[in-house]
This record gives sequence, structure tokens and C-alpha cells, in this order.
Amino acid sequence: MNNTRSPLIFNVLAECTTTKARTAQMILPHGKVDTPVFMPVGTQGTMKGLLSEQMENLGLQIILANTYHLGTKPGVEILEKAGGLHQFMNWNRALLTDSGGFQMVSLLKLAEITEEGVKFQTLNDHKSEIVLTPEHSIEIQNAIGADIIMQLDDVVKTTSPDEARITEAMYRTTRWLDRCLKAHKKPDEQNIFPIVQGTLNAELRTKSAKAHMERDVRGFAIGGLSGGESKDDFWKMVHLSTDILPKNKPRYLMGVGFAVDLVVCCALGVDMFDCVFPTRTARFGCALVMTGQLNLKQKKYKKDFSPIDEDCDCSTCKTYTRAYLHHIVTIHSTACHLLSTHNLAFQVRLMKNIQDSITNGNFPEFVIKFMSDLYPNKNYPSWIIDSLAAVNIKL
Amino acid sequence: MKFSVNNTVKCGPRLGLLKEIEKHPNMSLETPMAMLYTRGGSIPHITNEVFKLVSHESQIIQIPLVSTYNFEDAMNDFQGDIADFVGMKECISCVTVQDPADYTQPGHHFQNCIPLWTRQGKVLINAKLYMNSIEAFKPDMYYLLSDSDTNIASSVKRTSNAVSNTISYFKECMERHEKSKVLKNSFVMGTIAGGYCFKSRKDCIDAVCSNDIVGGYLIDGLHNNGPEVELQKAEELKPIVKYVIEKLPQEKLRAIHGCWNPVTVLELVQLGIDLFDTSYCYILTERSCALTFSLDVEDKNDQYELNLRQQQYADDFQPILSGCTCLTCSKYSRGYIHHLVTVQELLGPLLLTIHNVHHYLKFFEKIRECIRNGTLSQLQEKITSQFNAYQEIITKKQTLVNVSKLKENNKDSDVSNQTPRTDNSSITEEDATEDSDAFDNDIIKETQNDTRTTVMETINKTEVKSIS
Ligand SMILES: [Zn+2]
Ligand SMILES: [Zn+2]
Repeated sequence: MNNTRSPLIFNVLAECTTTKARTAQMILPHGKVDTPVFMPVGTQGTMKGLLSEQMENLGLQIILANTYHLGTKPGVEILEKAGGLHQFMNWNRALLTDSGGFQMVSLLKLAEITEEGVKFQTLNDHKSEIVLTPEHSIEIQNAIGADIIMQLDDVVKTTSPDEARITEAMYRTTRWLDRCLKAHKKPDEQNIFPIVQGTLNAELRTKSAKAHMERDVRGFAIGGLSGGESKDDFWKMVHLSTDILPKNKPRYLMGVGFAVDLVVCCALGVDMFDCVFPTRTARFGCALVMTGQLNLKQKKYKKDFSPIDEDCDCSTCKTYTRAYLHHIVTIHSTACHLLSTHNLAFQVRLMKNIQDSITNGNFPEFVIKFMSDLYPNKNYPSWIIDSLAAVNIKL
Repeated sequence: MKFSVNNTVKCGPRLGLLKEIEKHPNMSLETPMAMLYTRGGSIPHITNEVFKLVSHESQIIQIPLVSTYNFEDAMNDFQGDIADFVGMKECISCVTVQDPADYTQPGHHFQNCIPLWTRQGKVLINAKLYMNSIEAFKPDMYYLLSDSDTNIASSVKRTSNAVSNTISYFKECMERHEKSKVLKNSFVMGTIAGGYCFKSRKDCIDAVCSNDIVGGYLIDGLHNNGPEVELQKAEELKPIVKYVIEKLPQEKLRAIHGCWNPVTVLELVQLGIDLFDTSYCYILTERSCALTFSLDVEDKNDQYELNLRQQQYADDFQPILSGCTCLTCSKYSRGYIHHLVTVQELLGPLLLTIHNVHHYLKFFEKIRECIRNGTLSQLQEKITSQFNAYQEIITKKQTLVNVSKLKENNKDSDVSNQTPRTDNSSITEEDATEDSDAFDNDIIKETQNDTRTTVMETINKTEVKSIS
């Protein structure tokens, strides 16, 4: 294909003068994405019972889908016949897919990682062995057709003490990156993001980032975090990674979605996030609010006729009371849809507030206000104090 | 609210109009029509946002008390009526006792009260408790409490008990209704009980039809609700329904509940029934089927319904029904819906509901048009032949499946309609969905199986699943 335009243009619109935060517009083949952005996870080619019309109403500009699930069902053949996932699911805005490796390692306890790829035993009757190679992951992701796709990486548990294994994984991830880039069939339409690995080892993480920066790529993911490590370790690794990664390309921190983490990591210079949390917690009857979350199953909401959040203008808050939601959460599927809608609206609003405050030059004030709303007694966890201090915000 | 009807024939198809609705003065509704079936106050899978995307006409929502009984306490303090509470204030609310899509367990009769099998367990309600709920809900329409626990197999003793219970509920409820300030504007519907016993029906009609305040009647006690009603033969019903209709005051609204198939609906319309419900769409959606029967006698399509679970739809990117103007058909394909239902994603039943309810409401639109033109019989002929052909195919496939199962016990067959199976590709469902949808799946399964597990049990199950 003779496409002269890059499939990813990243225009930084404003930078915070105190912290590393920035706001940008990322232009992808399927539309514009304002960053910092939270990307909700629509695992199997659908966003938890929301129509694409509703996702557009929410202002979502990009969503994530899981390669492992989609490669299993409906599979590459159907996706290709359908003309890709955008067409298949009737979503005309941007998509991002993961590589499938993480899902495999976390879902299938039988997975074994070799230089070739991630090997696992299928759980059907045949007990055959299947290997997900970097090439195979890209083949599936090419069939899905997301605007941003992920390299297959060698995932090690963040808290693993095995230095040799962490080192091996870090180097292997770079080798697999090269195999992914080579196997990529649609470089003019889809962007491969490399994943910076190295768990909690600063030296390895630096090496990983620098090696990946030598490749011809248009953005970077920070991987191997948010996996059970302490918050102190977590923020330091994010801080380190964003210090190294180039300023003119987007940085995607994988698996992060709690409001407080989003605010801190934006301050540390991250542009993109994803997490299943907002939609998952919705299924258990929890609604996100600026001061934390409400568990609507609790008796105290039985006669609470206010909306989840007076300040939220989502369709759920405009129409439904906490009391009605209390009566139907975890019983009727409609309740899942209603809470997913609100929770996604919450994430969108939070990110919009972050973007606006960066644009208006008052991001540090926004952060301070956000934290004092969340911790009215000012009993801030030390990792928040430290991480914000690292970017010149004093709580 | 007022009901008026155009027809002077005692027992025949008729056009009617519901209007002067206090809360919605500009609204009027034409009959025959179907009320929108709800569960826990919501159309299954459909939020108000989606409802507004797909519906632009006036609708009645049918609110079974059995799935909303626990709202009463909150409703007593709530400033508004049940339609406001469930987030459907654009609709007219109609409270009914039992859930037409759920099998109502028979038995458990007590003097002066009936059992409601709610999620929280069995609740015995009498006329006083029932009217407490109604006063708390303040619906635009409601049915009086009745003993509907009868079916074609009921004994004469049961039907006559059902009638005497219903008569005493009628008296007590009406006494309360007439005194009630909050129900001053509610349209009240009497219920005719008595199973398939002519004498019982007559006794009931004689006792309840002298009241002028009652705006219409529900012919109740024909079945115990649930999916089996779909296959009940119209011939079994017709004599008793006809008998009742002939005795009912002609100018009043007549309703029947249940997931009747469209062929039976047409038979009932021919007898002069005005009001139905969309519970049929719900049971169809639950088994992943889409309605495609013809609404035009010239239509070349002869497929009565599609089972979207079938493998043949995996790479079929056409809409469910070409020419259908619903949101589902205009934007989403059979292949996508097939994918969603096989991986048990909630969007699957949502898209099916949009299409099925749309098609079913179009069906009623067509019925009214045919009554107007005097062409109802042609429509009936067309749909009946499609329905019968489809039932034949299902039966054949079922037999085939049974035979092949006998022959080769282990080999799966691909033709099963009624017992959908999921494909075993390299990874099984549980593993593939553990990350995302264990809980969603439980909700779907749970409604399908009509089990009455509590919320906690559901969650525990999920947890067990993710640990193991
Ligand atoms: Zn909201
Ligand atoms: Zn349709």
C-alpha cells in the first residue's frame, strides 16, 4: 500500500511546567485520541454490553481488545472475512490490541516460555501443544486490524526474585520485538509498540528502553508492572521509564486504571492506560466516584434517591437513582450496563479534567485538589507523597 | 385513562384506542398491542439509554410484582411512581402479579393468599398486602390480584377454588381502590380466573363484571407461565377464551398474558383480545433466536426464526433480517451476534432483544393494519405456514440428533436447535472467559435456568470457578 501518511501522529499540545505531564493529540487511522487517555477493555470484541453508539456517546476514542480471546474466537479466518474487528463489531474509532502473551501466561498455568514463543497445552480433548510465537501474535493482530498493536513480550512475574530469568526475559523481549517488526504485514495501517521490560530492576529496564528506542517505532509501552509489586517500586519504575523514553512519542502504561494511579502516572508523564477494573467492578455493583467507590449493594442505598454522582452527566446518573440500582445490582444484567456506563463516564471525565488542567497550566493544583478530596484527613500514603514530590508537587 | 373500541361484533378482531392518560395527556395507544415485558423493572438487557435509541413510540411497560416486590419499601418513600423509579418515565406502567416468562410453581395454596416466588424466597400475599404494593407503586394501570394457578389439567375443585379466591380478592381490592387517593387515576383491570372450566369462568364473570370502575379484564389462569406456553395449542384455548369474551362487557379492554407464539396471538386477536406482552421475545432471546417470520404476505423469505448459535452463521455477515429497520439489523451482522452468543457476551442478548422486540411490535402494527383492511386471515395463513414448517424442521432435527446420539454416543451433532452447544476449539470457554466474564455468564445462565440462587451464591460460584 502506498500510504504516505504515518499511521500515528503524536502532537504534544501542552506540557506541565512543574511535572512531566503533557497533553497531546494522537492521530490514528481510525480517528483522533486526546491524551492522557484511559482505554477500557473490550476483551472479546464488545464492551460489556454497550452498543458502539453508547461508547461514542461516552466520548470513548479508543478501546482495547484481547488478541488471545479473539484469536480463539471468532478466530483469524472469520476476522479476515469480516474485514477486521472494526467492521465486525461496528466500532469506527481507534482500537488497540495486546499481544496475547500476558493472557496466556496468566490464564494458562501450563504455559511454558521458550525462545520460540509461549508454549501451552490446549485444554480440549486432544491435549495438543500450541506455541504462540511473535509471528503468530502479529498474524492475529494483523487480522484484527487494531490501530495500535503490541509486540509479544516475555512476561516475568514482577515480584520474581530470579535475576537470571528477569535478564533473559528482558533480552528475549527485544529479540521478539525484532521478530514482530519483521512479521508485521501492515506497517502503514497499524503501529507496533515495543514493551519496556525489566521488572523492578532499574538497570535492566534502562537497557530495555534504550534498545527499543533504537527500533523504528512510533510509541512505547511500559510493561511488567501493576503485577503485585509495592506501590513504592511501581512509581519509581514508571518515573524511570518516562525519563528515558523520548518525549515526542506516546507512552502507554499497561494494566493501570485506578483513579489515583492515573493521576500520579500522568504527572510522571504517561499518556495511555488500560485496565479492566472500571467495567469489572461494575459487575459487582460498584460505582466510581471522585472520593472512591460506592458499593451499591449496601443497605444504606436502599432509599437513597440521589444519582450515583450529582456532577456526572452520564445517562445512568441522569435517569437512575442509587435506590433502584441497589435493588437490581448483581441480579439483572441491565445493572451491569448501567454501572459500566457510569464507570466509563467517570474515567473519561477524570482524563478530560487532567487534559484540561494541563492545557490551562493548573495541573499541579488539580492534583493537590484531587488528592485532598480523596484523602480529606490528609493521611496520604507515602508512595503518593514521594512520587508527586519527584515531579515537584508537594502535598 | 380511557379505552374505546371500534367494533360492534361480540367476538371478533377489533381496533381500540387507549387515551386520556393522566400522566401522558398527549399519548394514545392503539390496540391490539403488546406491553413491553420487564424484569425487576427493566426490559431485560435494555437500559433507558438504549430504549431511547430504539423506541420512538408510546409504550406500556408490564411490571410483574413477583420481580419487583422488594421495591415496595423504597417506593413508600419515593416521590414518584414505579415508572419513574425504574427509569422509564416515558412509558405507561402496568403492574401485573406473576411473571409471564417464568414458570410459576403450582400449589402452595392458602386461604386468602397466593404465593409469589420472588428472588428473596416465597412471599404469601393477600389482597391487603397486594394493594399496599400497588399504592406504593402508583402505576398508570394494574391488574387486581387473582388466583391464576390453573391450567388445562386443573381439577374442577381447583378451578372453583381459584374463582372463589379471585372473587374475594376482587371485592377487597376494589373496596380499597375506590377509597384510595393515590390510585384515583389508575386504570384498574379485573381478572377472570377459572382455568378451562366453563362453569367456573361463568361464576367469576358474574361476580366481577358488574363494576363500572373496572376498565378492562385479564383472562387469567390459562397456564402457569414460562416458556412452555409458546407451544400450547391454540385449539385448546379457543373454546374457553371465546366463551369468556362473549360474556365480557364489549366496551372494556381485554388482555391475555404469556409467551404465546405469533400464530396463537393471531388466533386470540381473531377472538377479540386487545392486550398482550413481549415476554415471547424474551424467551426467544434467551435461547439465542431471532424472529424472522414474514410481516408481508408477499414476502419471499420463509424462515420463521434463526438460531444464531448455529455454526452456519459464524461467517454470515448479513443482518438478521434484510429490510428490518431496527438498530441491530442496520449496524450488526449475524456473524457478530453468533460470536457474542457463543462466547456468552452480554451484548448478544441485547442485540437480539432490540431486533426481536422491534419485529414483534411491527407484527402488532401489521395486525392493526390487517384488521383495518380486513386482511387478517391472509397474514394468519402466511405466518402459520412458516411457523409449522419451522416446527417440522426442529422436530426432524431433534429426531436426527436423538438417533445419532444413540448411534454414536460421543460424536456431537451440528444440527441441534433446541439444545445449543458451543464449539470446542483449542481453549475451553471457562478458561477463555475467566479474565472477563465469569460473572456475566452467570447472570445469563442463571436467568436461562430460572434458578432462584441468591446473589451471594452467584458470587460464590464465580469465586470458586476462578480459584479452581
Ligand atoms: Zn454517571
Ligand atoms: Zn432487526
